Order: sequence, then C-alpha cells, then structure tokens
Amino acid sequence: MGLHWMTKYRLFLLVGGFLLVAGVALATPGPLEQARTTVDAVMAILRESNLEKEARREKLSTTIRARFDFSEMSQRILATNWKSASEAQRDSFIRIFSDLLERNYIGRIESYTDEKIDFLKERVQGNRAAVDTVIVTKSAEIPISYRMVQQGSEWMVYDVVIESVSFVNNYRNSYGEILKKEGFDGLLARMTEKLAQLEQGGDPSQP
Amino acid sequence: MSRIAPLLLLLLLFFSVPVFAEEQDFSLEEDPFAEPETAKIADPLEPVNRGMFWVNDKLYVYLLKPVAKGLRVIPEPARVSTSNFFSNLGTPARAANNLLQLKFTNTAGELARFLVNSTFGLAGLFDPATKWGLEKKDEDLGQTFGHYGIGQGFYLVLPVLGPTSLRDGVGRIGDHFVDPLPPALKTEELAGLRVLDAENAISLDKDTYEGIRENELDPYLFVRDAYTQMRAGKVRK
Repeated sequence: MGLHWMTKYRLFLLVGGFLLVAGVALATPGPLEQARTTVDAVMAILRESNLEKEARREKLSTTIRARFDFSEMSQRILATNWKSASEAQRDSFIRIFSDLLERNYIGRIESYTDEKIDFLKERVQGNRAAVDTVIVTKSAEIPISYRMVQQGSEWMVYDVVIESVSFVNNYRNSYGEILKKEGFDGLLARMTEKLAQLEQGGDPSQP
Repeated sequence: MSRIAPLLLLLLLFFSVPVFAEEQDFSLEEDPFAEPETAKIADPLEPVNRGMFWVNDKLYVYLLKPVAKGLRVIPEPARVSTSNFFSNLGTPARAANNLLQLKFTNTAGELARFLVNSTFGLAGLFDPATKWGLEKKDEDLGQTFGHYGIGQGFYLVLPVLGPTSLRDGVGRIGDHFVDPLPPALKTEELAGLRVLDAENAISLDKDTYEGIRENELDPYLFVRDAYTQMRAGKVRK
C-alpha cells in the first residue's frame, strides 16, 4: 500500500517548498550583513588615498544610494507636509535632501575611518529591522543604530539613530519649523542654496 | 544644599506641568523601532537663546576650538587619560543619581568602578574597569528628575556651557553639590580645571559641531532638537 499519487505529489511540493524557502533564507544576507557590507564598502572607499575627489564622491554616492531609501526617509521627515505637497515638490525634496544627507553622512563617518565599528545585533520584526552598531574610539563608544525596511531581498536604511538622536526626527523637527515659517518652497530654496554652497567647496562657516 | 533645596523643589513643581503639547501625530506605517515622538521642547526664550547661541558659536570658533587644536599636539593617549581622570571624579554624582533612581546594581557598579580605576587605574588616569565589564552608567540630576516624570520645562542656552533646559540646568546646580572638586579647591583653580576638562574634551571630539554648522540649514534648531532627543534617550535608559 503506497501513498496515493496525489498525496505523494503534495508531499513532494511541500518538501520542495521548504527546501526552497530554507535555501533563499540562507542565501539572502540579513539586515545586519547588508548594513555591514555597505558600511565596510564606504570605509574602504574613504581609506583609498589615491582616488581622485570626483571619482571618490561618485563611488561613495553609488554605494550609499544602493542601501538608503531616501524616498521613505523624506516621507517620514515631511510627515503631514508630505500629504499637502505637490508631486514636483516631493521630487525636488527627495533629490536635494538625498544630496545633502549623503554629504552629511560621508562627512560624519569620514572622521571615524581609523576607528573600529562593531556590528552588535539585528532585531527584525516583520519587514522592519534595527541594526545596532557601535563606533569604538579611544575615549568613547558611540552607538549608531540603522533602521531598515525590507524591499524584496534588500534591506534599505530609512533612519540612522546616533546616541538616541534619530536623523528623521531631528530633520522632521528642524525642517518642520522652517516649513511653518517659510512654506514648502521656502524650505526648498534654502536647501538648494545650502547644497550650492557646499558644492562650491567653499566652507562659508570657517573663520 | 539645605538653603537651596526648597527653591529647587518649588521650581520643579512649577515646571513639572507639561508646557508643550504634541500637535501632530503622524505615522507612515506601523514602525516597531520608531523612537518615541515625545522628544520636543518648548522654547519661549528663543530670541534670547539664539543670541546666546551666536555668542557661543563665536566663542567656540575663535577661542575654544583653536586652543583645543593646540592641545592636539599632546599625544592622544595622554588626553584620553585626562578625560578618564575627570570622568572618575564624576563618580559621586553618577552613583548618587543611580541611587536616587533606585538603580542599585548601577550604583554598586559605579562605586566598584571608582575603587578599581582609582587604584589599578592610577588615580583614574586609566579605565581598566570598563575592560573588566564594569561600564560607566551615566546619570545626572536632570535625568533623575526626568526619571520621575518631570519634563524639560523649556530650552535654555547658557553662556559658554551651551544647550540645557530648565530641568537639566537646575540638575547641574544640584550635581555641583556632590562634586568632590569644589570644596577642595580655590575658585580660580576650579575654573582652570573646568577649562582644561572642556578643552581636552573638544580636542578629542571629531569636529561634530563644525559638521553641524557647515551642513545644516539652521544649526540652532538642529542642536536644540538633537539635545532634546539625546536627553530623552538618556532618561529612558
């Protein structure tokens, strides 16, 4: 008495399905591994000393944009203002903000190229994850947590939390004040101006 | 302390009423890791604070930072030891505030750290305790107030000392009373040590403030919010 062919077939499908799922789970690195790969790549580029300035920017930009979801980040920052903004305003915001944040992030992490970054743990809940890291300098330990959302097999960063200070919350509050006083186009104008200032390479704030 | 205590209490009672209400509640999608949204601060003195922020900015850029840069000729290990030394002297305040928050393990940990670092760590110049798994548990009176539900009150930018709030500012005064240095030293000696501590800390810092003033649209707002979030985070811990 063998199993009915239909039962066998179902069993086959079931086992096959299990193997497939297990295989994919093993093959796809989790959020921590994906974040580590990106941070390591950024560090490696920053340490390359013989790279020309423009080429370096380009490489950094590609690496960061493959791991950061600037659209989700922008929506979170603009919060209720996102709903009232026009399509064109939203697009401009994402474009300028991603440029600004990219520079900001590179500038911050650049100071720590000689330090050790430990990837401590990942916490996954559904399609969201938090990856906790710590930069260990000689005088301090700086906790940095990456908040990520799953999109297909990729985990994308939408917030960076440094010592309990969330990028998204920080920008939501500080940009929110400017939005309140100067409106959406006022904010965009100031962002454009700041970006141009930074791109000229001139640092207007230095004495 | 006895003369100032009633005054502190009065101030706290007065400002424990939340001054600032959350005006918007926005969520894009359920996010289990979102930071609590409560980290906002009232800023009724904004024009004055902005003025002080401007003064501090100039002070930092033209005086404090150049001096700190000068300090960088001293090898980093020596400056790290200086930082450890001052940190070790902060033990009484940390231990007292851990105790006030009934965090007994942390209180004991702070005392053990003090014993280890003051002896094996050569009067606090080194920090073997951390390597042995006894980590610093940073608490101050501002955090203790926060722990018991007292809000920030409002934002304050102090001359030289920088961002604080009514609650945390009052906390600083309170912590001053358990600081082992003031009773042991003359005022000018104390001031000298405070300056050394601050300059040394700036020399070890990786130009954080420069990054902010260069990159942000409005550094004042950015710093105010970062301070508020950071302190809220410390209170939660």
